Amino acid sequence: MTLHERYVVGCATVAVAALVTISPTRAQVPTQPQEAALNAEAAQNDWPTYHGTYKSYHYSGLDQINTGNVKNLEVAWMHFPERATRGIQSTPLALDGVLYYSGSYSRVYALDGATGKTIWAYAPELDEDLVSKQTHSPYNRGIAIGHGNLYVGTVDGRLIALDLKTGKPVWDTKLLDSKKMTVGFTGAPLVVKDKVIIGAQGGEWPHRGPIFGVEGKTGAKKWEFFTVAGTEEAMKTWGGDSWRTGGGGGWMPGTYDPETNTVWWGTANPAPLYDWGGADWKKSGPRPGENLYTTSVIALDPDSGKLKFYHQELPHDAWDFDSSVGEFVMIDRGGKKLVVHANKSGYIFVYDRSNAKIENVWPLVKNINFVKSIDPKTGELIGRRDLSEGKVDPPLCPAIAGGISWNSGAYSPKNGLFYRIGQEWCMELTVEKTTPILEPMAQLNIGATFKFIPPPDGPARGHLSARDPVTGAKKWEVNYKEPPLASVLATAGNLVFVPDAEGIVHAYNADTGEELWSRNNGMGHNAGIISYMAGGKQYIAVPAGWGSLVADEFVALYGEPFKSMPKNTGALVVFALRQ
Amino acid sequence: MRIPSVIIASLALIWPCLSIAAFAQQSTGAGAENPLPQAEASPNDIDGEKMFATTCGFCHQDGGRHAGRGPKLSKSERSDEYIVERIKKGKPGAMPAYGGVFSDGQIIAILAYIRGLDD
Repeated sequence: MTLHERYVVGCATVAVAALVTISPTRAQVPTQPQEAALNAEAAQNDWPTYHGTYKSYHYSGLDQINTGNVKNLEVAWMHFPERATRGIQSTPLALDGVLYYSGSYSRVYALDGATGKTIWAYAPELDEDLVSKQTHSPYNRGIAIGHGNLYVGTVDGRLIALDLKTGKPVWDTKLLDSKKMTVGFTGAPLVVKDKVIIGAQGGEWPHRGPIFGVEGKTGAKKWEFFTVAGTEEAMKTWGGDSWRTGGGGGWMPGTYDPETNTVWWGTANPAPLYDWGGADWKKSGPRPGENLYTTSVIALDPDSGKLKFYHQELPHDAWDFDSSVGEFVMIDRGGKKLVVHANKSGYIFVYDRSNAKIENVWPLVKNINFVKSIDPKTGELIGRRDLSEGKVDPPLCPAIAGGISWNSGAYSPKNGLFYRIGQEWCMELTVEKTTPILEPMAQLNIGATFKFIPPPDGPARGHLSARDPVTGAKKWEVNYKEPPLASVLATAGNLVFVPDAEGIVHAYNADTGEELWSRNNGMGHNAGIISYMAGGKQYIAVPAGWGSLVADEFVALYGEPFKSMPKNTGALVVFALRQ
Repeated sequence: MRIPSVIIASLALIWPCLSIAAFAQQSTGAGAENPLPQAEASPNDIDGEKMFATTCGFCHQDGGRHAGRGPKLSKSERSDEYIVERIKKGKPGAMPAYGGVFSDGQIIAILAYIRGLDD
């Protein structure tokens, strides 16, 4: 070895030594959630994925804040996002003491979880002309973390990866021609192994509602599954060419079952929402047939995007009661591995996790008349009300906003109770025989006019109930003048948090429903509430900010405070115990 | 100021021609990015009521007779120009802009439908 070589080797050794010396601190900073944390029942110090963990409990294992001291909860810090058009509708994530969240126009913020100090902020350049043409826009409902990246979808059809530490773009992949299809992405992505999975908007738009599997490291699209006619079997369930514009979509994130390597995802309704096929829906109307895989829960192989199995919750959904809305609560009971999924119709479906066979179906809400019932053994719709052209009489229950809205409930493994918001309202409806739409275009496809009305048993209202998730047996219930539209959080402190529509955050005793604490955030809630740890201290983070499409209905239904409630502002409010 | 009803009626009558012309333009122009299937369909597409039920009824309840996500439209005191402009340009965060989706003839048909609404 020459002197020069020795010098080079020496320098290299010093450099490696320096790296080894410096690295421990950095190496301890995680850039992606640990597998064990994702697979756990409870989110612990972090909130690593949209539904808390893959179990989808929206449950925090933290108990510093508990029934004994929640009365001392107060605002620790706040953050105000820019351009909060339609409020804030996202669920934050937390990793290693840093809180990440998204606002409208897919703006993303990384904040010190203890102080709220901005670490980085990111604002993508969007196609503003396209955004101005979209109905379900420009809100964003969440993000995902993995592979050292943070992932966010955009309403102009892109999935963007940001470096988790710096917020700098890593890649930006155009997945949808949103100018043609109108639809883009508002829902949170889901990280599964080396993939990022995200579902397109759908339902009332005439496209085919794809779900994408994208390679996390590179942004390369690996697969695309069409929720409308995604297989040959499904193609046969759409009369004529109706599959070309069938709607569908998977606009809210599903979850992952690592035991079977299965992604569970809920799909949206077919388009048009309402059709005039009536009882002859298998042969007539704008979309004759069962319309697979709309309003279904589908099980996909995350590696290939291939369909493993499915259950269509509402064959030929004629009422706009998506399966997109519900979380997938994974419960093991009596030797059975189950998954509990809420459908927009107000029914809760309980499945066998290995094959999506029905284990039970139970109603969360009282006012349902689109069917007489759903067979709890088979899932068959009994006495379905298929609509024909003209006025629907009696009015349809629930209303188009559903018996269950898109935000999530919570499940406490500590007491075995499932906490879910239900909505009681109906609507007058006149089905119109509209002109078939044969190509995707920048237009909704509704097929009716309608008007919200109170249900037969009282005023339009909402409730939180605590139930056995498998049987539906109710332990307690809290009623609200207006349905809360945010997600629910359960914690190991034996608390259930409900951010409501008027702007109040409530904390209840998880066992009894007794209200133990409340604070007014000053504007309605439409987003997801989480808990996390920073600097050894537990925090509760809830975005406030009003303006979802369901929220828009509240002005006509309830008047004030919604008439005066701004829909272009919002704040992330973070609570902690008083020192 | 209101557009005279006779103009609305005339526009409604000539809609099929406007529709074909619009389609011809779009198949070669920038508008091809947002194809208008109505242009291929029957003259009944000019039916403002059907157009309303396809798209507008999602927010303007009871066919525009009742406030919902959007305001009540029947007996609106807004001028025709205001309504046409709002349909074309929308309102950020509240109403999509339909200027690139609907032709002028279709927008007039929707306006005619709105003006004909009873409470």
